[in-house]
Amino acid sequence: MAKTLIVGEIQKGGLRESTLELVAIARKLGGEITSLLIGSGIGAAADNLAKKGGGRVLVADDASLANYTADGHARAIRLAIDAEKPELVLIANTPIGWDVAGKLAAALDCGIATDVIKIEQDGSDLVFVRRMFNAKFDARLRVSGSPRIATVQPGAAEAYSGSEAGSVAKLDGVGGDSRTKFVEVRTAAAGGHDLTKAEIIVSGGRGLQKPENFDAVLKPLVEALGAQMGASRPVVDAGWLPHEYQVGSSGQIVSPKLYVAVGISGAIQHLVGMKSSNFIVAINKDPDAPIFEVADVGIVGDLFEVVPALAAAVKTAKGG
Amino acid sequence: MKILVCLKQVPHKDARLELASDGSWIQDANIKFEINDYDNYALEEALRAKDKDAATEVVVLSIGPDRVQQSLRTALGMGADRAIQIWDDGLAQADSLAIAKTIAAVAKAEKCDLVLMGLMSDDTNFAVTGPMLAELLGVPHATGIVSAKLDGGQVEVERELEGGALEVVKIPLPCLLTAQTGMNEVRYASLKGIMQAKKKPLDKKSLGDVGLSAGAVAAKVKVEKIYSPPKGKGAEILSGSKDEIATKFVGKVKELGLL
Repeated sequence: MAKTLIVGEIQKGGLRESTLELVAIARKLGGEITSLLIGSGIGAAADNLAKKGGGRVLVADDASLANYTADGHARAIRLAIDAEKPELVLIANTPIGWDVAGKLAAALDCGIATDVIKIEQDGSDLVFVRRMFNAKFDARLRVSGSPRIATVQPGAAEAYSGSEAGSVAKLDGVGGDSRTKFVEVRTAAAGGHDLTKAEIIVSGGRGLQKPENFDAVLKPLVEALGAQMGASRPVVDAGWLPHEYQVGSSGQIVSPKLYVAVGISGAIQHLVGMKSSNFIVAINKDPDAPIFEVADVGIVGDLFEVVPALAAAVKTAKGG
Repeated sequence: MKILVCLKQVPHKDARLELASDGSWIQDANIKFEINDYDNYALEEALRAKDKDAATEVVVLSIGPDRVQQSLRTALGMGADRAIQIWDDGLAQADSLAIAKTIAAVAKAEKCDLVLMGLMSDDTNFAVTGPMLAELLGVPHATGIVSAKLDGGQVEVERELEGGALEVVKIPLPCLLTAQTGMNEVRYASLKGIMQAKKKPLDKKSLGDVGLSAGAVAAKVKVEKIYSPPKGKGAEILSGSKDEIATKFVGKVKELGLL
């Protein structure tokens, strides 16, 4: 590998962990590493990245870059690419990464692989591995042209933990107007249904087929276990349950002692929200459902038969 | 106001997906297809703008073989005014950028005020065609929106970030927005709508018709192989009758000290 440009990310004024995951991937591929950080007043984060393996860190530091805009970010990244001529550009697949990466690829007329979980060296070429069909299959991609852009799924690699002697340099000409005007970031209204402290969570998915079944089928098990009820995204999107029930990257991130996933296939966005649970039980009729990959115990069967049986057995065990 | 909605047809949510024998793609000859879920929300948002202002024209576009005409007719039945299908053998291996270039050729000729599409497709999950198309059209964009308020020459949108946070931005028209699922409640086509849809125009175009050639949309990204993910440790599968399974489940919960 000749040269990689890492586009780092600032989160709450500091370095986002995903940036060090990109460092780990770039260092494994070998070759020269340059990093880019974009923001306002980010000198300390740049020094930090330089010490943590980011190589030569270019800093796009301007008041106009204080909040993310696609125009501002794309302008800074293109300046860095023009200056450094990297063969590979790595960006984390975050709400910033996926917003800017495609715009960049079109502007440069170059190939892009998104939401990559692994990059393998194959002779002089690279293979980009990612999920497809909502995590049902994996795919190996070949990307032609230079540079090649890859957005990498956060958490796909271990963050680089070494310390290195890097350097920091200012990138000039990065300020300017953006057509999109940032207004504000609204944090989620604290709902009355906090799942983050629950000991046991029983979550239902699209497999429950209709909203009434959350009361009729799922609730008896929830009550028998003394659990809290959660849900997958499609259930909330369909309006069956309010957003405060949603477990996943855009809902609540939970880690209870016991997580029971009922009729949830296991889309990545759900897995991110529950995979660090202490013990996971999955109930699904499809033996190939991705949820079984993160589960400790699986039950392959019809949830409408299995769940009432579980609820009854738990009740009996509790002596009621 | 003119709104272009890009619809992709993807395997039906409940279709059982099997790999093609050579591992190049899924077996797609005998499965059901439907409009990509994310795109449904984009379409609904366009139709709501039309509900508010009858002078708004909603054009739906899909790239794909003739099976996509069914999805386009569904969209016309829901209330879109006319449909464009683009298909060409030169698009069979198209990557996201090739698709964006093809749509751009149509969108430029249509001179739309707003382009709407889903954040990503449920098959490839690349999530990149929207921002690419915006760049090719020279218009600003926002991805993964959960609300859009049109206000004169601009639109205020909420973008979904992580952990339930929302970013509010204002974008001048013309612009491109990609919809997150759940942003609205998608309507069904009425019987009357379906009848009317049969008379609405559906134009089929080739690459040549939109001023492109196969060479101009050659793919830079190639799917070499798709395969079932390598199995991790996997779950311990409980077997037996439902009562035996329930007893084993209770045993596990007891081991955890939760019963």
